Amino acid sequence: MKHVPTVAWRELRSLFVSPVAYAVLSLFAVVAGFFFVLFVSAFNEQLMRLQQFQAFDQLEQLNLSDHLIGYFYQQILGLLAFVVPGITMGLFVSEKQNGTQELLMTSPLTIWDVVLGKFGAAAGFVTLLVAMVGAFPALLFFYGDPEVGKTISGLLALLLVGWTFVAVGTFASSITRSQIVAVLITFVLLIGLMMLPVISMLGVLGDAGGAGAALAWLSPGEHFDPLLQGLVDTADLTYFAVVIGSLLLLTKAAVESVRWR
Amino acid sequence: MIEARNLSKRYGDIVAVDDVSFQVERGEVVGFLGPNGAGKTTTMRMLTGFLPPTDGSARVAGYDIFDEPLAARRAVGYLPETPPLYPEMSVESYVDYVARIKDVPRGERAAKVGRALERCGLEAVGRRVIGTLSKGFRQRVGLAQAIVHEPPVLILDEPTVGLDPVQIGEIRELIRGLAGGDGEARHTVILSTHILPEVEAICRRVVMINGGRKTVDAPLSELTAGGQSLEALFAREAARDATPGADNTAEAEAEEGAP
Repeated sequence: MKHVPTVAWRELRSLFVSPVAYAVLSLFAVVAGFFFVLFVSAFNEQLMRLQQFQAFDQLEQLNLSDHLIGYFYQQILGLLAFVVPGITMGLFVSEKQNGTQELLMTSPLTIWDVVLGKFGAAAGFVTLLVAMVGAFPALLFFYGDPEVGKTISGLLALLLVGWTFVAVGTFASSITRSQIVAVLITFVLLIGLMMLPVISMLGVLGDAGGAGAALAWLSPGEHFDPLLQGLVDTADLTYFAVVIGSLLLLTKAAVESVRWR
Repeated sequence: MIEARNLSKRYGDIVAVDDVSFQVERGEVVGFLGPNGAGKTTTMRMLTGFLPPTDGSARVAGYDIFDEPLAARRAVGYLPETPPLYPEMSVESYVDYVARIKDVPRGERAAKVGRALERCGLEAVGRRVIGTLSKGFRQRVGLAQAIVHEPPVLILDEPTVGLDPVQIGEIRELIRGLAGGDGEARHTVILSTHILPEVEAICRRVVMINGGRKTVDAPLSELTAGGQSLEALFAREAARDATPGADNTAEAEAEEGAP
């Protein structure tokens, strides 16, 4: 697997000569900035209202970490679900379109070199996005004192969910020959994953208890929230590792299947 | 250098390649002939390790394609029918990338990339983006990618298709040069084509397949002895074993299934 960085580096360079990378980066900065401003002003309004009513109990509870940064991170999670399919759609599809798959498969590379290289490139890009997001709460440290731990564990949560989304997109790109289809599959899978807690409460599943809970457990959202609260639990971290690992295994099988046919 | 033993490829009931065996010695340039859909591309894909054969095996430069796949792939330069190019990369960075994934040691990389560009006449366009190049130049980049790691074996699938006469001449000259070197520098070349004058111009031996089966395997001089034209032979062989319908679909499916 010594060629993982070679493959990842080429992938990143191609991403940065295409308009996609810059479109996503600027869109992300603008929309994240918009959300941030929105939540800052909402927070201020809330603060003023509570002071007006002299609601000291609630004022006591109001804090930057939970009532601003937490909400902000939740919006970013939704934003990630929108941009990740755009980043991952070309990973394998463009190799098939260029005919370069034939080059990769006849070079002394293992399939893991290719799969991990491509996942690593897209995951690296998402890491850049999350780092950009981190700049916003960092601003708040100049004016107030949010909890450092929660701010960071929230970023970690975004990073892990972002990587999970990337793994979904990587898999989708490996099973189709069209970028649009790859985007659609990724969207459907991501929405499905995020909706699992809701689905698990419906009808029979809701009553079944165990099955419903198991379904809900599969959703990244269930493991995002504790991290957002500052609760870094090994069980949640394991969840992300297992889901990403399984998706990459599926991707490897899909890439390899070219040889079986 | 290349040894194919009873290679077969089946897709369900359809037989794309049926029990093909042949050998190619060091420094030989072998023309791989056959009508469209005869199984040329499928055979080459099996030799390069892109597709596993359903039956049979092959050795390339002494390495079995099953038992030592990485060593075998390191020893092969392959130019598929459509050159495998990344349109957004520059010629130089692309060839350098291929050198990396072909395991060219770091210290030799710059020199080998430079040599491949020079041999293919690409020095002037090294910094150009591949997507902006003409078809002839792209074909040359494809060839540069195949030879950059200086593999003992070259497998070229229709290397001159779609080029103008001058470019065709240049590419042929280049291929002749590759096989003409001394000792280790001598490449062994298999080249598929259905342009017969091309075979007469560069190949010393001809392997013809039709309907997935090998029908001719002989030195060119023997085939054209007594003033016989290669064209007449090709027409006769192509007509003799006429199951083209089935095999065309086989080839088409191969394209579909193996992107």
